Amino acid sequence: MTTHDSEDGRPLPLAEHLTASTTKAAMAVQQETLQAARDFLRGLGCAELLPPLIGPVTDPGGRGAKALDVDFYGHRYRMMTSAILYKQASLRGFGKLFYIAPNVRVEPMETAGTGRHLVEFHQIDVELAGATRDDAMRVAEGLLVHVVRHVWDAVPDVLRGLGRDPVVFADLLDGAFDRRTHGAVVRSLIDVGHEQSATAEIDWVGEELLSHKAERPFFVTGYPKGSRGFYDREDPETPGTLRNFDLIAHGGFGELVSGSERESDYATIVTRMRESGENPAKYGWYLDMARDGIPASAGFGMGVERLVRFLTGLDALWQVSAYPKLPGVATP
Amino acid sequence: MTAHAPGFPEDEVRARARNGTSEIFPPAESYGREMFGAENLVDDLDQARLVPPVFMPERLGKLIDLGREPTHDDVDLSTVVGGFSSPLPLFLSAFGSTKLGSAELGIAASTQAGRLGIPMVIGENVVPVHGYRSAGSPVLNRIDAYLSTVDATSGGVVVQQSTEDADSEVWNLVYTSPSSAPLLASGRLAFELKIGQGAKPGLGGMTVLGRESAGGLGGQFGLHNVFGADDKVLRCATPGTYTEEIVRQQVRFMRNNFPRAKVWVKLHPGRDVAQAAATAWAAGADAVTVDGAEGGTGWAPLALLRHVGLPLAECLRRIGPPAGCLLVTGRMWEGSRVVRGLALGATAAGLGRAALLAVSEDAESGLVRLAESLALETRLLISALGKYRPAALCADDLWWPRTPHTLAAQPVPVDGLV
Repeated sequence: MTTHDSEDGRPLPLAEHLTASTTKAAMAVQQETLQAARDFLRGLGCAELLPPLIGPVTDPGGRGAKALDVDFYGHRYRMMTSAILYKQASLRGFGKLFYIAPNVRVEPMETAGTGRHLVEFHQIDVELAGATRDDAMRVAEGLLVHVVRHVWDAVPDVLRGLGRDPVVFADLLDGAFDRRTHGAVVRSLIDVGHEQSATAEIDWVGEELLSHKAERPFFVTGYPKGSRGFYDREDPETPGTLRNFDLIAHGGFGELVSGSERESDYATIVTRMRESGENPAKYGWYLDMARDGIPASAGFGMGVERLVRFLTGLDALWQVSAYPKLPGVATP
Repeated sequence: MTAHAPGFPEDEVRARARNGTSEIFPPAESYGREMFGAENLVDDLDQARLVPPVFMPERLGKLIDLGREPTHDDVDLSTVVGGFSSPLPLFLSAFGSTKLGSAELGIAASTQAGRLGIPMVIGENVVPVHGYRSAGSPVLNRIDAYLSTVDATSGGVVVQQSTEDADSEVWNLVYTSPSSAPLLASGRLAFELKIGQGAKPGLGGMTVLGRESAGGLGGQFGLHNVFGADDKVLRCATPGTYTEEIVRQQVRFMRNNFPRAKVWVKLHPGRDVAQAAATAWAAGADAVTVDGAEGGTGWAPLALLRHVGLPLAECLRRIGPPAGCLLVTGRMWEGSRVVRGLALGATAAGLGRAALLAVSEDAESGLVRLAESLALETRLLISALGKYRPAALCADDLWWPRTPHTLAAQPVPVDGLV
């Protein structure tokens, strides 16, 4: 049996990867993670739905990631980059819901070496009708604390076998994560000599710097408009910023969660689509439903592979996927 | 009994009565052979005269610098066009999905633009119409043609995206394509947000298609039977909706999504062109192109060609000293109009119809020769103004007929004269 994955930072051939001890350990942590997430969210009264895999449109995303096309009986369909639009739509029947959602994003080739990007990945995707950003942040915080506690209770030897020390997570278990605004984070990055635009997403290098400096997870709130999708609600009190958040893990593991209050006003959604360069005509079914009324909500997606990597402390995201696909690398 | 109306445009009325909507367009059979631009537009940029001074302190500066009298050969035309190094203050303007620009002429123009080292813009609606990876893909073929001749540091490729292009994710396709890798690696890829064009401000792209070939495009574009019983249809792209906030956010979105590409914005000659340009620059655009109402290679309704949009000079007057890199297009083909544009704040001028005509004259070297003649003319004119780089030009280098300066002046006090 192979004991370690490749040392050059690239995955081994699939047959060897599937028998590597690190892969087995990661899968043991992953199944406990999913069990804990389901228990926690069901405990909050959330219904678990199974998400769609393809649709006429998907989350247009950002950061240069694109969707894969599918020929659906002559119609051009897309693989889900995220099922955010379906989450919002589903609120009409299910006020609190979650998916364990498989997603496909063709990320830019330059992300192949970040250790944090896979083309195929999964999210614990949560949406809560009537919730505010604070509500969603509290749920994300509680979910992370619950998962970490459960995994350490369930498979402590696996984590120790990977070299993890419970002390790394001790502060996390207290919850009440710090909150920093995007503006404050930008200033702190500029102060340490990292060039970071105030009107853009925190770049990968900046995010890693912040993550290494932190000793426990923390939230970043209020990303600028133009850095996220049209469905994240603009803050009426600070126009130009969004009522959204990321949850960044400490130890260099970076973003675990992205979430937001959602835009539910039809005219604002159409306007925001134009602001992100989208053609509203593509989103016919969603806009029809929005015109008819979609409940206000807040929600988030927690990356399953990122969470498992954070728990296991493995070097790269591909090590925690049974069938890893790196950007630009053609693998089975 | 036949009615007549002397003094009234009777023939035109009768033509519309006979042929209906086809009469509001140029003849459909001219599509694919002719290029269209404003008809009989009086652009006072062409009325303005370049006016060299007698006293030339900058020539003295150059004389001191060189240790000899400067000549027109000493004019340095090299510049930075929208983030790209260019040996000339020129670029190859966009030809959209129009038949003329997409076929062999487009490839020939790309090859020669590469030889010249000037930036090249690839127009909108090319991918939805012609495909991206197909054998005849104009985008990939034009990028390949350009890269086959350009040196390692000059120029760059700019790819437009319209609303319909956004559905095809043209920028994403280009950004992740292996063909673009050499451009990205050397910082020579830009994306241009096309907001409008000079020939038909406020409308989207139009082409004339055979009824059969139009079939596959019905899901993406509007198809209109405007040519009567003819076997042709008019394909209309939507112009897209823009407000100040939409422009600001789209530019930011481009910078966020494609951090390794430059961002260009192309404006039609709208009455608020100054505000639109300022918004784009403030949002981080590397270049703003203003297409005067004289511009256009594409198909357009006659009323728009004749009566709609500001002339380029008025656009430049409204913009004033630009807050970023300003590029101009519209009836550019010789040095004096280019120099007049530069004097009003532009960094470079785009060649559209002139470039296509030049490559149709000689597919090997027509555009290169046109650019060489234009460059020499530009050097002569700039040196005549006592200047040696385009950026030194200013509005004082122009005289406008019928301005207050034509009135009798007061005597100018001069030291030593009592």
